[in-house]
Amino acid sequence: MSKPTIAIFDFACCEGCQLQFVNLEEELLDLLGVADVVEWREAMSEKSDEYDIAIIEGSITRLEDEEKLKLIRSRAKVLIALGACATIGGVNKLKNNFDDLDEVKKCVYGKDASKPHLATQETKSVGEVVDVDFCIHGCPIDRAEFTYIVRCLVMGKTPEIPEYPICVECKANGNPCLWDEGQVCLGPIIRAGCKARCPSNGFRCFGCRGYIDNPNVEAAKEVIDKYGLNVDDLKTKMILFGSRQEPTIHG
Amino acid sequence: MSVKKLAKEDFAKFVEALIEKDNVIGVQAKGERFDFAPLESAQDLRLDYDVTLQPPKKYFLPPKEVLMTFEVGGAYASEYEDETFVLLGVHPYDVVGINQMDELFSQDNYDTHYMKRRNNATIIACDVVTPSENVFASSMKTAVVKEGFDILLTDLGDSYVAEAATEKGEALLAGAAEADDAALQAREAVWAKNQKALNKHELECDAAYLPKLLGRSYDHNVWDDMARTCFSCGSCNQVCPTCYCFNVQDDVNWDLKTGQRERCWDGCLLDGFTKVAGEHEFRDQRAHRFRHRLYRKAKYVPAKIGGQIACVGCGRCVGACLPGIANPVSVYNRLIDDLGIG
Repeated sequence: MSKPTIAIFDFACCEGCQLQFVNLEEELLDLLGVADVVEWREAMSEKSDEYDIAIIEGSITRLEDEEKLKLIRSRAKVLIALGACATIGGVNKLKNNFDDLDEVKKCVYGKDASKPHLATQETKSVGEVVDVDFCIHGCPIDRAEFTYIVRCLVMGKTPEIPEYPICVECKANGNPCLWDEGQVCLGPIIRAGCKARCPSNGFRCFGCRGYIDNPNVEAAKEVIDKYGLNVDDLKTKMILFGSRQEPTIHG
Repeated sequence: MSVKKLAKEDFAKFVEALIEKDNVIGVQAKGERFDFAPLESAQDLRLDYDVTLQPPKKYFLPPKEVLMTFEVGGAYASEYEDETFVLLGVHPYDVVGINQMDELFSQDNYDTHYMKRRNNATIIACDVVTPSENVFASSMKTAVVKEGFDILLTDLGDSYVAEAATEKGEALLAGAAEADDAALQAREAVWAKNQKALNKHELECDAAYLPKLLGRSYDHNVWDDMARTCFSCGSCNQVCPTCYCFNVQDDVNWDLKTGQRERCWDGCLLDGFTKVAGEHEFRDQRAHRFRHRLYRKAKYVPAKIGGQIACVGCGRCVGACLPGIANPVSVYNRLIDDLGIG
């Protein structure tokens, strides 16, 4: 059996998730033992139009990027969204909270706002543009989860990506609940898989892995009442990774 | 078996000696709460604790463990942890939890991974000094235990009464003096007090009636009502001393020829817990999963372990549930209020 080929592409993002590949260090050689990487702008100069697995990092903010992504989808057998920008739109979706995107652009780019390469539109996750086969969640991604998913795909297995919320991993780690310490933690509605890294280190869940498939809004309302908060207290905590996310709540 | 008495300073020496010769896991402060953790000094031991964040279950059934290694399509070998250890400071309700787990893991398919750890353990229990905010062990008849430990400690202020219940416990206490009558009476008084005092939530029926109560409650509206605000986060499962459901997954190494089979905790409240081949999910409603947990505790599991109710009244789920719906006593009492005892 010939090794599957992988191509890695990036759109609007900080490229921090790809950096996690480089941070695999020796394990990167193991990965290259099971698959051939044929395109990866951050780490190599070769390019290719043929690949089995396309890994997409970043969110989609320009029309030309939509077109490029559709082309990649048409070439790839399996398409993976990598990291929060790709899976849920990520912090780039903050922009969608403003009605006038031209104003946003002027605020960010000043006099350069009209330059053609800055012709941006509303931010979309990868799944809002093309079909996504697997999501590797997080900001940044968890290296162990990434390598597990790659091994599953190479073996022809479906990887198990948690459908349950962060609380599961947080409680298993023996942590006291951060809500009892006055923090508005998003753990109960955010997808697990990070081993509850932030709450295990005393900091509330930001929600970088996106909502679980079926978050309970009624329960959230009950809890903010119980803790003497209001809906806006919760919304301000959800805005960083949860802005305008409705169309992208998927597996 | 004998009952001894140790002055507190002698007990500290006893603990230090234990740390010298074995792996001792003892209850210690964790922020403003308490938890079991490897004990390095007798000074860190807090037998006055109210309740630990996690029950001691994890030392027998870890959140994640390797069951075996394998070659794809070839040989395989079971992996075991095989080291002795001492669990120091297990409350009576948690002792009952461990006893129930022992029964469950040794019946049907004998679970060698669990039982090897269990047989390597020495359990030093201690009677409750500070009742926790949500404990209801008195209602579940688990406030005091008479078996399932190697040693049971009872705090009498300036000393401990230490009862050995096994050869292992007897050997550890060999050097200590016999307890006098006054100490034994004082211990009876502690037991009498705890049998009533560990009851922050009071069950309105005898616990033994619960399986019958649930037999009449399957279609009651309490399940929908309570589950309306359930996050399905499984926090109640994750902190429970008698929840033992697990998932098993294989992961291969980078050579794609060898790998390991891993077991990790699962939880019946979680969306996806009942998902099977073909994406079928037979308990996809929150209310059904909410009901299932309480049926496990007071009907299904009791049928496997001689009628013992598989809720030991530790109250951890009550404290861990953010929307405040996990309290089994609230649900059972509501059913009793509605349906009566009949």
